[in-house]
Parts: sequence; structure tokens; C-alpha cells
Amino acid sequence: MICSVNGKEHDLEPGETVERLLERLGLQARYALVEVNREPVERSGYATRNLAEGDVVVVARPVAGG
Amino acid sequence: MKIDDPLVIAGRTFRSRLITGTGKYETFEVMRDAILESGCEMVTVAVRRIDFDAPGEDITSFLPEHVLLLPNTSGAATADEAVRIARLARAGGLPDWIKLEVIPDTRYLLPDPVETLRAAEILVADGFTVLPYIMPDPVLGRRLEEAGCATVMPLAAPIGTGRGLKLLEAIGIMIEQATVPVVVDAGLGAPSHAAGAMELGADAVLVNTAIALASDPVGMARGFRLGVEAGRLGYRAGVMDERTEAVATSPVAGAVPAS
Repeated sequence: MICSVNGKEHDLEPGETVERLLERLGLQARYALVEVNREPVERSGYATRNLAEGDVVVVARPVAGG
Repeated sequence: MKIDDPLVIAGRTFRSRLITGTGKYETFEVMRDAILESGCEMVTVAVRRIDFDAPGEDITSFLPEHVLLLPNTSGAATADEAVRIARLARAGGLPDWIKLEVIPDTRYLLPDPVETLRAAEILVADGFTVLPYIMPDPVLGRRLEEAGCATVMPLAAPIGTGRGLKLLEAIGIMIEQATVPVVVDAGLGAPSHAAGAMELGADAVLVNTAIALASDPVGMARGFRLGVEAGRLGYRAGVMDERTEAVATSPVAGAVPAS
């Protein structure tokens, strides 16, 4: 199952959850901010939100800024 | 600040009237030390996509626990983009406070007032506590207040310029008319600038570059802390009226050289 994650194609397991994707990416950030197809995903729903073929995922986080 | 003079924004009390940005520090360790020395209780952060090939360190692990994170919408050139960033931040667990900045202009980084107002209306309706970054425009300020914004944040001079209170007159009118806290944001280059804004009656100031790029950021953080306190104390105590002609402070009568 091919999805775009931050502009790069990733081959994910069918129905992979957001939580599993974050684990796969090895993300240790305290705040992982996720949107799928331009819709934000609630943090509490990462474990249950399934991704689908062709989904466009953005994973962001807080960074230094003014 | 030890004086009983807290800053209250949207019902939340802050002892410090200095807000700092987290950008441009040489290291996150220096940033953390400067934040602690500044005494600030709210810091801004930006939101960016993670580069999984070079993720780098997580800034939030360096931020003191007692400090409120204020995500900004930097990178947004339209209202819709700002709303998207704000919603992404909140969904991911960041506070529902948002520093709203909608900046289409890359040379002077001046905010778009029309898009800012539109975004503010959407975000307030969506339950956000909105702190909008604007040109010092008293009419726009009133419109943002009516839209339900928690503060107005006029710029003193363009972001990162350090030029001080170039737009002082307009900020003064905003302070006179505002019913929400006025936070002077951007362009303050020295503690004296912060003191000047506070003497004018600003409720708080937001500073980033002047501290982060100082040769001693921690020392400058203390300078701004004291500048803000000095200016606030001066405002509360009542700065004297200016006069054109001198008025002697020593007695006129009884001067020794008198014949």
C-alpha cells in the first residue's frame, strides 16, 4: 500500500494505523502532529486511524520559532 | 515580577510580562538557559514537517515544564493555511492557544490584515485562544477584539530588525483603545526598547531575535526581563510630563556665590 508521507512515497502494510506508521518512522518526538489528506488527526485516535492506499500524510512537530 | 501585577490573557495568569520566541538560538541548551533567565512563562514555537532523514533533536524536551507553549502559524500566507496549521497543532496535543500570523510579504514580513481577521474569526469559532500578530492599526485591533481574540500583538518594527519602537504613535493609540492585552511583538532590539513599550502602557512584549542572537543570550534575557519590569513599574508609577524649559531641582535661594 503506497502512501505519501511528507512528500515521499512509503510502502505501508494494508490498513496500517497512524501509530504504527510513527513507530516505523522511529519518531521519538513528544508531539507528533499528523494530518491525513489535509485533515488533522486527533492524537487520541492515532492507534485506531487506518491509512488507505494513496493517502497523503503529513507528520509535523514543534520547532524553534518566534 | 514580584509586584502584584499579573498579566491575564484569556483568564490565565502570568507573573511575567515577557514572552519569548525560541528561534535562532545556537543550541537548545542556550535557549533553555535564556528562557529560564528571562523569567518568561510563555514561549512561541513554529510547526514544521519532520525531515525523517535528519530529524534532529526535539525542542520540547529542552523547554521548561512550567512554560506555556504558544504555537505560531508561521509559514501561512493565507487564512486557510493558518487555520490548517492551528488545527494540526491542536489535534496533535499542543495547546489550543495560537499566535496567528499570516504573512504573504517576504521582504518585510508584514502581516495581511484581511486574512488575519478572517482566520481569527474561524479559529475563535473553533475554540482557539487567538493572539494575532498585526501592524499597529487601532481599527483592525478593534475588529479582532470583536472577533473574540485574546490579545492584539502589534509589531514595533519588522521581525528581526531590532529597530525598536518605530511605530510608537500607532501602538500608543492601540493601547489607549484596546480592551484586551496589547503585546508588542517584533522589532524590539534592546532592553530599553522593551522598557519603552512597557512605559507606553503595553501589557507585555514578545522578544526573540534580540535575545537569541546576542553574544550572551542568557545575559540579554536578564536584560530584557529587567527592562520589561522597569518599564512596567514606570508606567504604573506614572511617568512625569515633559516640559520644554528647565526647572531647577536644587533650591534657587541661598546659592553660595551670591553677592
